[in-house]
Amino acid sequence: MLGKLTWNAIPWDQPIPLVAGSAVFSIAIAVVAWVVLKGHLPYLWREWITSVDHKRIGIMYMMLGLVMLVRGFVDAIMMRSQQALAFHAPGYLPPEHYNQIFSAHGTIMIFFAAMPLMIGLMNFAVPLQLGARDVAFPTLNSTSFWLTATGALLVNLSLVIGEFARTGWLPYPPLSETTYTPGVGVDYYLWALLISGVGTLMTGINFVTTILKIRAPGMGYLRMSMFCWTALAANLLIVAAFPILTATLGMLTLDRYLGFHFFTNEAGGNMMMFINLIWAWGHPEVYILVLPAFGVFSEVISTFSRRPLFNYRSMVMATMAICLISFVVWLHHFFTMGAGADVNATFGITTTIIAVATGVKIFNWLFTMYGGRISFATPMLWSLGFLVTFVIGGMTGVLLAVPPADFQLHNSLFLVAHFHNVIIGGVLFAGFAGLTYWFPKAFGFRLHEGWGKAAFWLSLAGFYVVFVPLYATGLLGMTRRLQHYDVALWYPWLLAASFGIVIMACAAACQVMQIVVSIRHREELRDETGDPWNGRSLEWATLSPPPAFNFAVLPKVHGEEPYWDMKRRAIETQQLPAEPEYEPVAMPRNSPTGFITAFFATITGFGLIWQIWWLVGIGLFFAYATFVWFAWRDVEEYVIPAHEVARIDRERRRVHDEWLQQDLRHHREPA
Amino acid sequence: MSTTETLPFTTAPSIDPYKLGHDGRRRRPDDGGAGRDYSTGHGEGGPASKRVIVAYGFWIFLLSDIVMFSAFFAAHAVLRSATAGGPSGHELFDPRSVAIETSCLLLSSFTCGLSAVAASVRSQLWTQLSLLITGILGLAFLAFEARDFMTMIAQGAGPQRSAFLSSFFSVVGLHGMHVSAGLLWLGTMMAQVFVKGFRAVIMRRLLCFNLFWHVLDIIWIALFTIVYLMGEGL
Amino acid sequence: MSNETERNVEDVGPGVMGAATSVREGILGYIIGLVLAALLTAASFAVIYTNLIWGPAIPAALVALAVAQMGVHLVFFLHLTTAPDNTNNAMALAFGVLIVALVIGGSLWIMDHLNQNMAPMHQVMQMQR
Repeated sequence: MLGKLTWNAIPWDQPIPLVAGSAVFSIAIAVVAWVVLKGHLPYLWREWITSVDHKRIGIMYMMLGLVMLVRGFVDAIMMRSQQALAFHAPGYLPPEHYNQIFSAHGTIMIFFAAMPLMIGLMNFAVPLQLGARDVAFPTLNSTSFWLTATGALLVNLSLVIGEFARTGWLPYPPLSETTYTPGVGVDYYLWALLISGVGTLMTGINFVTTILKIRAPGMGYLRMSMFCWTALAANLLIVAAFPILTATLGMLTLDRYLGFHFFTNEAGGNMMMFINLIWAWGHPEVYILVLPAFGVFSEVISTFSRRPLFNYRSMVMATMAICLISFVVWLHHFFTMGAGADVNATFGITTTIIAVATGVKIFNWLFTMYGGRISFATPMLWSLGFLVTFVIGGMTGVLLAVPPADFQLHNSLFLVAHFHNVIIGGVLFAGFAGLTYWFPKAFGFRLHEGWGKAAFWLSLAGFYVVFVPLYATGLLGMTRRLQHYDVALWYPWLLAASFGIVIMACAAACQVMQIVVSIRHREELRDETGDPWNGRSLEWATLSPPPAFNFAVLPKVHGEEPYWDMKRRAIETQQLPAEPEYEPVAMPRNSPTGFITAFFATITGFGLIWQIWWLVGIGLFFAYATFVWFAWRDVEEYVIPAHEVARIDRERRRVHDEWLQQDLRHHREPA
Repeated sequence: MSTTETLPFTTAPSIDPYKLGHDGRRRRPDDGGAGRDYSTGHGEGGPASKRVIVAYGFWIFLLSDIVMFSAFFAAHAVLRSATAGGPSGHELFDPRSVAIETSCLLLSSFTCGLSAVAASVRSQLWTQLSLLITGILGLAFLAFEARDFMTMIAQGAGPQRSAFLSSFFSVVGLHGMHVSAGLLWLGTMMAQVFVKGFRAVIMRRLLCFNLFWHVLDIIWIALFTIVYLMGEGL
Repeated sequence: MSNETERNVEDVGPGVMGAATSVREGILGYIIGLVLAALLTAASFAVIYTNLIWGPAIPAALVALAVAQMGVHLVFFLHLTTAPDNTNNAMALAFGVLIVALVIGGSLWIMDHLNQNMAPMHQVMQMQR
């Protein structure tokens, strides 16, 4: 009746997941109860759960990413402490458990923390920067978010019902085949990623279409902001690479569920092909993560240096070059698998070449800052931290790109330190930079600077204290994913690394304090003008938070930094431009489709994992029914009448006018 | 259905795509930089129309689908000789069946195109008829393919026999799944056209369905060439 | 809602026939596509099942015929042209084709080398006999 599911699926004999699971479950129940009893559910349903507004969806992505970042961080704490304790000792985590922890850590961090953080920033900022009202397919956007949440939910469910994969974050066969993993761990992984992969692919399609087809009048390609260019490149990569992930995981699923022989030991299967195909996705994936990060830094550095981005055109070229080259480097993840010197050398060279394009960007950022008036607000600090940290990480990457060197360092802690260096220094720092930069736009008040700076400095210090020792142990021969070890040489380094994790935990606490304190003091931190940083791109032209329709009248774009131009023109003419003709605005209606589809996707996924076939049937049927019901609706949009648009915009004009008059009185000029 | 009637396929006026003549279009003042060229594709005119947005988004989706197929094609190419002592393509494939399947799909692509013509002149009868024939031909395709699969499995040449057969059943089966999903969509579209008529949103969906069906035929071309015909030659 | 009148010339979505096409021209386009595709299909089958083409050239001939047929579909059924209003559509297709070439070509090259160098033990011993 219930497939493979029995009461034994709950880890009664393992205290850690049992306690952790109960704690999370209790907190979840408490939160839901509070929401319902306080009467917030209708508001939540109407304004957030069924919202198709890119701003709301972006915020929800960020919230998902931050929560999962904490979950993944807890896994990291467990790993570091285990390794600090496990010198000539068993530590406190049995191997079967430890293996699940590092697999979950990687999976969660990449798919449910880093991706949602970057996608959240893109969701929030790209339509505003393009001068558009929303993305191309708003309901699809909502569905993407909720499907990603489904994947996160399934992975977290594995903690308390069943187990997670023990294969590492990429499930190499034959370990991941049924012969060697008969349990449900790999199945949880597969269905969580197959489902959320659909969501991500739809995001890619959505944003490629939005960026290429929905821009304000006058915004030619070379007038888009740099964040929009990097978003375009990242989403093109999503569209090109995620289908490969779906296909490869699909093949593994067919092997496991239907006895196919793609990657098995017997009947002609080829497990090296899994590694080849999965990395053909895996390498573009890391550029999907890092390109929006580069975009965030372009925005932040130019804003806080009070200068336009240096050599915009070469930045665009470098971005698109990275986009293309990222598809011809993937073999560097398996130099040691035995393809031979010719193949290894080719891919080693292409890998080194891609570093050049990134170098171009680094120099452009440096030249942007040179001669500028730098303001060291929190977003700028994260950017400076990125510049130093990412360059070091990139350089270790170039070291690894040399095949003979890689033969020594493959799968060592040197490799682990390298990719954490670039992902933390690049993606995570960008996530926090973007968070602090766009938070006022999203919520109408700034984040507390003091706690923000504390979080930054502790993160920076913590990162180096954790990972520099890991570079050392890697060079001393330590392999990754060790549950225990006997080499005395490594012990002091690993001890130091665990001290670093304490520093990072303090940083995380500061992040939480930053949010709590900012909410409590939101009136003092209020963003009155919509432009707290003296910004240069179009999102700063709206009040904070922007109205549902973003812009009352789509702005006419005449140059590269449209909002900066607008401000300058206003100061020159000493007045705002004339009030425009207000017209009614049609916006897409909210829809529960995304949420309901994801609900049934969760049911289907759970059924597939535990092989409860009637549940799968129900889930698929109702998911399809939801889609047809949505396709049958007659009214797709609601209209905001012209007088309402006018009222909202006149309020904006009043605020901007006041600000302008203040500025003129103080004779301030933009740089 | 007048044969000289102009089909309102697009919202664009009669255009001069290579700008060979100056047809007196109103030109905006030249403000330099990327705003100079008002020809298409540069987006200076503001957001594109809904029809263009939907069609382009769907086109991008189809390209992603093609990439997914290419991963399965790559797997099949790598595993083409991994027969593990079992039967190879040459022993299993029935050329007559493949020819029939190809003809069914090609004809269905043709009738699908006819349905687009019929829809553009808002003819309920001809649209439904051509969609119905498209569906019947698609079902015929699936029937022959299912029969082929059953025969192979009965001979002990199912997907669990060898890696070659796994990859064969997967790549051909994936295409068949797409055709099945397409037929489900087709049925839904026929119902929607019947109930709601030819409003803009329905026309956009019909356009997407057309794109989907034609691309499925393009993938079949690759399939029958590489999997069946080249597999035959091996 | 606003700015619809600002557009001079617009991109054409993929799959859309050019403006000013009559029903007769529309149907004719599809018929020509059907006939050409059918001929190319028949030619592909002929290549395999008759002796018209020299053996080693068969894969090349098949690929050429398949590409031609895909072209027929793109032009006659999907109405893809090289006009500026189709640039985005053609560029997207080119991007897709590039990725497909890299994935398939790259995988074949890599897997070929891997299979040769990493053959299972009994195969290596067989090769050495």
